[in-house]
Amino acid sequence: MGKLLLVDLSKGTSKELPLDPKLAEYYVGGKGFGAKILYDLLPAGCDPLGSENILMFMTGPLTGTLAPANRGCVVTRSPLTGTFADSYFGGHFAQEIRFCGFDGIIIGGAAAEPSYIWIDDGKVEIRTAGNIWGLDTFATVEKIREELGDNSVKTACIGPAGENMVSFALINCEYNRHAGRAGTGAVMGSKNLKAVVLRGNKAVISAEPAAFGEAIDTAYKELAADDTVTSFTGNGTPASIDFANEEQLLPTHNYYNGTFDGAAGLNAVAQRDSFWLRNVACAGCPIACGKVGIIKRGKRKGLVTDVVEYETASMMGSNLGLSDIREVAYLVKKCDALGLDGMSAGGMVGFAIEAFQKGVITQHDTGGQELKFGDSAAVEFLLDIIAGRNGLGDILARGVKLAAAELQGGTEDYAVHIKGLESPAWGPRSVPGMALALATADRGGCHQRAFPILYEVGGQWKGRDVERLTLEGKGEIVAHLQNYLAALDTLVKCDFAAYGIKDYTYCRLLETATGTEWNVDKLLQLGDRIWNQVRLFNLREGFSRADDSLPRRFSSETLPEGPFEGQMVNPSDLGRLLDEYYSVRSWDGDGKPTDQKLEELYLDRIPVLFDKSSLE
Amino acid sequence: MYYLRSEFDLCTGCEACMLVCSNRAAGGYNPRRARMKVLSENENLVNRPLVCTQCENPFCMNSCPFDAISKDETSGVVLVDKEKCTSCGNCVAACPDGMIRLGADKKADKCDFCEGDPLCVKYCVPGALKLVARLEQQEVQE
Repeated sequence: MGKLLLVDLSKGTSKELPLDPKLAEYYVGGKGFGAKILYDLLPAGCDPLGSENILMFMTGPLTGTLAPANRGCVVTRSPLTGTFADSYFGGHFAQEIRFCGFDGIIIGGAAAEPSYIWIDDGKVEIRTAGNIWGLDTFATVEKIREELGDNSVKTACIGPAGENMVSFALINCEYNRHAGRAGTGAVMGSKNLKAVVLRGNKAVISAEPAAFGEAIDTAYKELAADDTVTSFTGNGTPASIDFANEEQLLPTHNYYNGTFDGAAGLNAVAQRDSFWLRNVACAGCPIACGKVGIIKRGKRKGLVTDVVEYETASMMGSNLGLSDIREVAYLVKKCDALGLDGMSAGGMVGFAIEAFQKGVITQHDTGGQELKFGDSAAVEFLLDIIAGRNGLGDILARGVKLAAAELQGGTEDYAVHIKGLESPAWGPRSVPGMALALATADRGGCHQRAFPILYEVGGQWKGRDVERLTLEGKGEIVAHLQNYLAALDTLVKCDFAAYGIKDYTYCRLLETATGTEWNVDKLLQLGDRIWNQVRLFNLREGFSRADDSLPRRFSSETLPEGPFEGQMVNPSDLGRLLDEYYSVRSWDGDGKPTDQKLEELYLDRIPVLFDKSSLE
Repeated sequence: MYYLRSEFDLCTGCEACMLVCSNRAAGGYNPRRARMKVLSENENLVNRPLVCTQCENPFCMNSCPFDAISKDETSGVVLVDKEKCTSCGNCVAACPDGMIRLGADKKADKCDFCEGDPLCVKYCVPGALKLVARLEQQEVQE
């Protein structure tokens, strides 16, 4: 710890870089490190799939300890959106980075032939991946364990989709945990890098062990006392299916509506009945939101599968008109094996089916395959041609934004993405705060940067009830949540644990782990700094207010029926939301941070910490 | 007498047990430094915690040429005398579960039951690790 590992795949070399104290002070870890390093190292306009792009696996100061529920993140420039991209993964991989003695791994260049990186307790080797290239993610993990003769090594790998640089390919962090979003797997594929494999013996030590232990005990108690957290333990994320369906937020038939007749076939009750056997947790997590099992009955009997998370149960389920969780579990596992992000894949397939219904895609394009909602075979067909980039699949592999631009024919009206990232499973037409959160999320359409829905459907903000359909005040909520969560993404926190662990407890964990003083104000300023640092990256890449937008399905088509019939967030509403949000952020009307804001966050005077020579 | 019992059906694989154990055993967190293991099987369908059961007929103790390992009569815990240990590794080879190994000081190192209050049990939120009491043969028959 206290150092980063740099691997140059073009040269086949690696070196250790001591952690710059300024990086630790101003950026802390995880997302913060990624934001600063990406901004410093990448030349403007660099090709996300070119050797100039870098792929980073980052940890935080709590990663690898007993402090509950920490993850890791992959940071790179996204081939799907062109923005800064950070994608978070659970499992045990991030912890092993620290057990190898590093706070993060920065991978640059591109290997001449298929390779994998093997880091054994800090010793780095770049090995040929000739015999694993082409394998799916499950087989890759098996083969690597066999080759190294150790089942305890930790692997992050890509599947065929990543090898073929599908724009929404994921990185699998065995098992059922992924850096899923924004195409990190395609970047890995562009570097001819099949896997990163770790085994580390180093112990992670805190600055104040006794006090750190007390802070951990406090966090454990807070998690046990929180109802939302215990609901994740009991029913996992699919409990949200019922909530979203009742609130008309559940994507259905490519986001046509927000309620689904078959929702009861996808929810926690259905999943438990169909296959759950036990709870599964990521490293050091008492929540255990995972629910692994074996499908009991029917065509997919015997299939081993983890919980179908809310996001994939919606995007590959209701959004595609599928109401049998066993079929959805099969398809999501297929995405995992091929190395496709199940969320984007669900968005992409929904788009393709609608384009087929509207005659833009025809049987001529699909080789005779009919595409319709509610047909699992049609979905499987599309997943295969996308991962293999065969025929029509080559267009669909670029994501809905570019596919719509290629297909034309009015498809842009139902290409549901923000900045190119397929929107997550929370239809925002009746929750304008959520619409703003999606429009302004740094990596494109993302629900994890701020989730104001919980305030909009009956919550309070600063002691006052929040009106669901009101625009006013939403900008402040969204900016605050973004800052707070960006700060916790330096740790790197789990979204669900953050419901239970209090802000001051996170501060206490941080200060006893690192020996530096923290308080909630400082934490919020850290988040604000990182949010602005990322904004500077995106602005440099040409993003502006015009890109803080919503897809037409949300901004010019109303919900067709149901309790929120007639609702949408039209461009004028979004304009008002953005005006308030920019003003709260001290950004100008174009969404650019003011000089005063940069000064307040020290962003005007933190020096360049990484340049080309750091890599050499 | 109390024993550690582990139950695969409740284990979530979080490895909090190993983290807290390693911190006590090695002065820092790393599951690989713990005095126990959690195995993963079949695409992680199963996590199987493996703990030292403080054997009644301890192979580690029996295989030690230097009488460095003994079983405490009252607690039943199998303990290593680091003074007597010569780091020969017989015990490591003898335990089929890998529950004893050479520590950072190169001396035999194993679970000491945290002096009667095992941390692994304390931090096992799902309850997959339990302390159970033993019934004597006579009590079972009654």
